[in-house]
Order: sequence, then C-alpha cells, then structure tokens
Amino acid sequence: MEFMAQANKKFGVRSLLVQGLTFLSVLTSAFMIWKGLSLFTNSESPVVVVLSGSMEPAYYRGDILFLHNGYSPIEIGEVVVYKVKEKPIPIVHRVLKVHNDNTSGKQFLLTKGDNNNEADDRGIYNPGQKWISRDDIIGRVRGFVPYAGMGTIWMNDYPQLKMILLGTLCVLSLFTNE
Amino acid sequence: MNNFLQRLSGITSFAMSTLMVLVVLISLTTPFLPSNPTHAVQLHNVQTTTGRMMDPYDKTSRTAEYARLTFDVDADLSSMFNWNTKLLFTYITVDYQSSNGFNRVVVWDRIVRGKRQAKLKLRKHHNKYLLRNFAQTFEGVEGANLTLIVNPVPYLGVMYDKTMSSIPFSIPRALKAGGKK
Repeated sequence: MEFMAQANKKFGVRSLLVQGLTFLSVLTSAFMIWKGLSLFTNSESPVVVVLSGSMEPAYYRGDILFLHNGYSPIEIGEVVVYKVKEKPIPIVHRVLKVHNDNTSGKQFLLTKGDNNNEADDRGIYNPGQKWISRDDIIGRVRGFVPYAGMGTIWMNDYPQLKMILLGTLCVLSLFTNE
Repeated sequence: MNNFLQRLSGITSFAMSTLMVLVVLISLTTPFLPSNPTHAVQLHNVQTTTGRMMDPYDKTSRTAEYARLTFDVDADLSSMFNWNTKLLFTYITVDYQSSNGFNRVVVWDRIVRGKRQAKLKLRKHHNKYLLRNFAQTFEGVEGANLTLIVNPVPYLGVMYDKTMSSIPFSIPRALKAGGKK
C-alpha cells in the first residue's frame, strides 16, 4: 500500500488511470450508440460512405448515406445498399425490378447504378446469379450529407494519412496535460 | 481562453454544432417546399413478341415474351426545382399482378438536371429496359399500370418519391407464327 501511495505521488498514477477510464468510457459510449443505431435500423451499417461513382450525378464519392433497413419489402425506385454474397464491398444502386413470390415470401430484385448506362448489375452479381434477395440488402438510403465522408476516402486512398493522423494525435495528447 | 488549442477546439465544436442543427433543419423542411408540377402520360401501343438476342446473363431470354410499349409523356417539372434540388430522377414503372404475386419494374428513366430540361415532351417513346415477366410468359398477368414517378434528389437531406400520373393497361400475349395466341 505504501509503495502505491508513493507511486501516486511520484508519477500521478491515479490521475493517469482516471484519464484512461474517461477515454475508455467515451469509446464504449460511441460503440453503444453505433450498435444501438444498427439495432434500431435493422442494418449492419446504418451510416456508409459512397465509394464509387456509379450513382453520379446523384451521389459522389465521399457522400455519407444514412440507411434504414427495417423489415418491410423493398419497393421499386428505392436506392439501396447491398452486398453480393461472398463479396465484402457494399454497393449503392437503385432498384430496377421487384418480383414478389407469395408462396416463398421472397423478393427477387434487380439493381442498376444511375451512371451505368443500359447495364444493370447482373455483371457484378455472382456468376449465374440473376437476382438479389431481401437479405442481401443492408439498408435503403433515407438521407444523405454530401462531402462529409471525404476523410474516409482520403484515409483509404492514402494510408500514410492514417499514420500521420495517429502520430499527431499521440503527440498532441502528450502535450495537452496540465 | 488564451491557449491556441483551446480557441481552436472552441471554434470547431461551435461550428460542428451549428452545422448539425442546419443539416437537421434543411432535411426536415425541404420536402415541404411548394411545387406545382403538371404531368400526363399516354400509352399508344403495347406489342408483345417472343425472344431476344441472347442475353449473356439470362439464358431464358431467347424464348421469353417481351412487351414493347409506345408512350407519350407531357410533364412540366420545373416547379419541383428549389434551392435544395440537385436533380430529378424521373422514371416510369409498370406494375402488375402475376400468379406468384406483385411485380413492379422500371421501364424508362431519365435524369433531369436543371429547369431547362424539366419540361418533358416525349412522343412515341419506347421502354428503355426490356419488359418481361419473371416467368417465361405473360400468362396470368393482369392489372398492369403505367406510372410516372419523380424522385427529387436534394443537395442535402431526405430522399423521397413523388408519384405523378398512373394509367392502367393490359399486356397482350405474343402472337404465335400462325396468328394464334
């Protein structure tokens, strides 16, 4: 016990721990908000950044999209974010065709990017796959904010930026202590 | 408040809060801006034939029934352009009931980028996208409707659709070679 009191006096261990705790609680609150939002929207990723130019001129690279999935069937004309099975990249396109099957309760959907003239998405589905289903949809676009995601695009295109940013944050946190 | 970093942090947090309030206000108020579009769709003709050049993604395209529509559109959408409208995505859908359930497909679309292009005057246009049933034929297809819809894409905010005109029609079966259906 005495050695701990001495360590606290010398290095301020307790204040360091308190700082660490505050940092951790901020992190976990952010995580909780994100996961809570995912549950509320039934979407694994309720906020996405547009990565490709296939929906121009409506959405450009770097726009942030707010998604809401819910449980209702997809309707035509909605802009949806989906993932082709076994491909990890989410794609933002508009729904071109909707066929409902009452016996199985399934939907057969075909999508197309606004900027892809006359070419629907069958070229990017898996080979032999003509339709995507309701389960492939991560969410429908409800609203968006332009340019707000440019930071993510820059970080992906220039990984050195990530390093520089992390380094700057560490340096700053060292210097802003009383 | 005499430390540079403290000032920067204060300015940044104030700017962020103001921006967020603005984003919410803009998103909430844009759909209620008044607009007065005129719209009219007329369907001249529906022709159903069988088979299409081999579609690389759809092996059944050679024997499926395809319907070709000829239609007119008269619409003045320029009043839908407000300060927060980036473009108007106008499209025409065909929806019908088949033996399996409800179906709806987009047969034509156009991106209207400004007020000058917003006066649509289409005469005897055909569908841009091939119209065929999920099954091979149009057997059991009934209650078809041709609908014109506009999706105003804002610069910032909420996405929504506005249905314009809708007219019912029926899709005929393809005539076989001997003139029998």
